[in-house]
Amino acid sequence: MTAKVEPDPKPSFPFSMVESMMPMYPLIALMGWMLVVISFVIGFTTLSSAVTEWFSEVKADREASTALNDAQTTIHVIETWLPNLKFLGLGLGLLAINMALGTIAKKLRHMGKVISYHIEESQRQKMPEIPNRVRLFQGSAMMGIMILMATLIIGLVLAFGTVTDYYESDTQAGHNLDTDTSDLGTIAAIPHWLGPLRMMGMAFLFAGITIALTVIIGTLKYQEDMLKNL
Amino acid sequence: MSEKEIQLKVFPIFAVGGFMLIMIGFIVGAFVVGPTANSYFGENTKQTRDSAVEGSSLVDDLVTISSIPRWLEPLIFLGVASFMFGIGLEFSTIPALLHRRGKTMKAAFPKITGGSK
Repeated sequence: MTAKVEPDPKPSFPFSMVESMMPMYPLIALMGWMLVVISFVIGFTTLSSAVTEWFSEVKADREASTALNDAQTTIHVIETWLPNLKFLGLGLGLLAINMALGTIAKKLRHMGKVISYHIEESQRQKMPEIPNRVRLFQGSAMMGIMILMATLIIGLVLAFGTVTDYYESDTQAGHNLDTDTSDLGTIAAIPHWLGPLRMMGMAFLFAGITIALTVIIGTLKYQEDMLKNL
Repeated sequence: MSEKEIQLKVFPIFAVGGFMLIMIGFIVGAFVVGPTANSYFGENTKQTRDSAVEGSSLVDDLVTISSIPRWLEPLIFLGVASFMFGIGLEFSTIPALLHRRGKTMKAAFPKITGGSK
């Protein structure tokens, strides 16, 4: 027997977009996995070979060689943006978990409605409103993934801007004599703030999972109480 | 208090603690180590940096840039681990909840169906 249950009202933007994306969690997980695979492939091929080329020469030679400039530039450019791609891949995996948990919570609510439909009207309890925590975990997950996307964009801009310009412009030996080292300062500071920013993105995604689990646990408890009171 | 309820009471400590540790890592990285690295490498030529003497501010900066990341990264990962532990605690309560719910459902079933099986 199919029960006719009233659908929940459509949430406002951007939560409507999140809810419409929720069933796509396997695809999002696959995308995340693929990004990490791409990171591995780039690390294994391009980055690894550039590092091999760079360190195959003795220190004095590699630092003075213009022929090795490309290898050095490649190393620094890739090391600036690739970790951000890798973490975006991991973040998409966590986003998929968030969305899977959100889908479970939604299905539990639907099940509760179906059961409630079959309960005698005199004993039927009013369905509770969707808890605010649902919007909180959706918001937290979106915030996390947006931070990770922002770090990738920042990484790409820095890698193909300042980092490329700096390392392409001269050999390491030449740079050692630079009087204006402002670009080196920018480059040296990048990993110290971009890395922790990536982890902040991950923290928001973990927070989303934590809150989504509280929604599921809360729903299970509420439904148990509802059944007990019949 | 049952074991499961203790887990539900304890997990927020790990979740909030994890978030705080990661945030501390970000603040220290972005506002202490990052600017120090920027000023150390960006405002001094290699010759100046290499000729810095013991006790000078340049050597202090180098110590900051070199030593803090050694504990900052593990601190951030401790935050991640705390989150994961908290999530694990939350998950550990679900099997018992489902088990109880099954029992409750079994008891409530005749009332829902009006006695018919």
